[in-house]
Amino acid sequence: MTRLISTPGPHLKAEETVSRAMLDVVLALVPVSAMAVYFFGLYALFTIGVCLITAVITELVFRKAMGKAPSIKDCSAILTGLLVALCFPATVVWWKAALATFVAVGIVKELMGGLGWNLFNPALLGRVSVILLPSLFGWLNVQLDGLQPHLGTVDITTQATPLALLHTGEVPFSLGQLIVGFEGGAMGEVSPLLLLIGAAYLLYKKHIDWRIPVSIIATVFVLSLLVGANPLHYVLIGGIFLGAFFMATDWVTSPMTDKGKLIFGVAIGVLIVVFRSIGPVEGVAFSILIMNAFVPLINKWTRRPSFSDPRPAPASAGKEVSG
Amino acid sequence: MEQEVKTFQGGAHIPHYKSYTEDKPIEKMAAPSEVIIPLHQTSGAPCKPVVKEGDKVKIGEKIGDSDEFFSAPVHASISGTVKAVEPRMTYTGKEDECVVIEADDSSQEFEMKQVRDPDTVSVEDYRKCVREGGVAGMGGAALPTHVQTSPRQPVDTLLLNGAECEPFLTCDHRLMLEKAEELVKGAELKMKSIGARRTLFGIEVNKPDAIDAVKEQIKGRDDMEVVPLAVKYPQGFKSHLIKAATGRDVPRGARSAELGCIVRNVGTTVAAYEATVYDKPLIERIVTVSGPKVGKPGNYVIRIGTPLYHIVEQCEITDLEGCKIVLGGPMTGLAQSDLNASVVKSSTGVIVLPPEMVRDTMEYMDCVRCGKCVDHCPMFLYPSEISIYAESEMYEEANEWNILDCIECGICSYVCPSYRPIVHMIQRVSPEVEKLQKR
Repeated sequence: MTRLISTPGPHLKAEETVSRAMLDVVLALVPVSAMAVYFFGLYALFTIGVCLITAVITELVFRKAMGKAPSIKDCSAILTGLLVALCFPATVVWWKAALATFVAVGIVKELMGGLGWNLFNPALLGRVSVILLPSLFGWLNVQLDGLQPHLGTVDITTQATPLALLHTGEVPFSLGQLIVGFEGGAMGEVSPLLLLIGAAYLLYKKHIDWRIPVSIIATVFVLSLLVGANPLHYVLIGGIFLGAFFMATDWVTSPMTDKGKLIFGVAIGVLIVVFRSIGPVEGVAFSILIMNAFVPLINKWTRRPSFSDPRPAPASAGKEVSG
Repeated sequence: MEQEVKTFQGGAHIPHYKSYTEDKPIEKMAAPSEVIIPLHQTSGAPCKPVVKEGDKVKIGEKIGDSDEFFSAPVHASISGTVKAVEPRMTYTGKEDECVVIEADDSSQEFEMKQVRDPDTVSVEDYRKCVREGGVAGMGGAALPTHVQTSPRQPVDTLLLNGAECEPFLTCDHRLMLEKAEELVKGAELKMKSIGARRTLFGIEVNKPDAIDAVKEQIKGRDDMEVVPLAVKYPQGFKSHLIKAATGRDVPRGARSAELGCIVRNVGTTVAAYEATVYDKPLIERIVTVSGPKVGKPGNYVIRIGTPLYHIVEQCEITDLEGCKIVLGGPMTGLAQSDLNASVVKSSTGVIVLPPEMVRDTMEYMDCVRCGKCVDHCPMFLYPSEISIYAESEMYEEANEWNILDCIECGICSYVCPSYRPIVHMIQRVSPEVEKLQKR
């Protein structure tokens, strides 16, 4: 007897799947990761490796504990792991990177119900969670001191605080370096150009929409003029490109409608400038996380009427129809 | 001068796979040795059989009818002997009352003899012929056509639906190309009967030859016009065709006649014409048989009641293992599990999807809120939200998100990267939501 498939329609399916999209985002992050490895050598590879492994194991353990099937196939753990790693400088102590990844995948994603149910961007909340625990790391750093491997020398001085430099207005890089690549800050911040290339791929594949990143960067650019900063330095240094193209565009934690995306992006841009104006702190992660919380509200505000809802009649309506 | 191409907001460009059959002229398929004709093929009341086992019937003879207004009679599509009147597996996937006729060795061709002059036939005769001929919507909706021949409101526009937006299907394309004359004459009859002052032919621009054929046929007339439509699914759905072609909004619950237009499939228009001029009831239709594994794909004239196994054999479909056979278009058609199911009046196609094209049956995931269904929904709904509420049987919330506005085009399921069967979830809970709303 021939086996016929008789599942309900539609019987065709677009090729896109969640795992394919997640893999594409990982792929889009490969150039900037490679640049980080070029600058920071084995330190970068080591930190990325720690985060990827922690992410996959955490997901497996949490899902097992909750009686759910493994979901490595959807590739979201791998992506989150990579994003957390890129939020850190390459020389970060590994227990800090691992704990951030654990929080991101285990608490922010899986405990909230798994992929699709998290209100906050897992990588960002994981990243900032370790900022909130300085005393824990003060203690851990002493306890685990001997366990951090030494993988060569990295010029710590230039890498230290480009944002602080931005604050003083003395940026030791040419504009070309700032665009193409410079050794500063977190691994995911070293090359706006390579981030842009990755983002172009995602835009081409229609995984992300231009509205969120463009409204964030445009808002920051314009407002930086108001606060008297060099707007190019202002957007190129720090986490704005990584945040705008790869964090704020996260499907799960961004608004669904076009209008909502613009509101979301502009608000993030405003918050970034506010945070940066307060002091030499990088506000990108906090700005996105704060706006993540507003997404349900933005979705509600921007809800569009149904095709069947009565709409305001144009002035000439009612005349042409009867005839 | 290039004419403006019209369309609607939302929707999706779906690969249309029409190249298998778009150049294949309409061809008659050999008669099967038996036909299985369901007595309930249209929306509205089912027919009662007017023949019994052992009766001799002639092609075109009425075999089922109903006293209800909202119903269309069914006719024998071959001459022969009634073998059974009993429940059989139908295209719906359920058993339903059918008349089974075994063919005899007569010619099996309906004699096309003109009995009425299309230029002088009265509106009353036209309406009667459409009713008696069992003409019903052949684009998929299967609404008995005669209920729409005498609208209560004044209707200014007849909108002929030649959009054919479903992938694979080319039956309407070929019909417009090869039967443009009958089509235009049929449109004229219909216009007279509903009192419309103009006819618009809505045709997607991926059928330029059909557009030209119809334009050629209406040359010099100021009451008929071709409206070229963008190639986008679901352009051929009634509400979106009206919006695109006339610019009129289609509010909730409004019937098209209330908007001043009546929408009619092109195939139905020709069937109504033939019922009037030749007294030929709706006993056969053009069906697109297509798919990458179909040996002889084409646009075949197939008799109503022809079992799928006959079509599989005639079109040289050899390997069906793991395939999906869809009756209708691949977006809204019904997958068949039994080759004894037969072609009905609304069967636009028999589409054979090989295993590699069949929508994966893998388990679906939770909604990741990517918003793709929201982007593409032609009804401007939030299928993502609705699917979550449907899944948890939260009917009130689903209603609040306008689940009942859904036209079930299936785009949401098509684009969903989480593989969620959204439209299926909607179909499942809609009746419950309707109950809730009536209360």
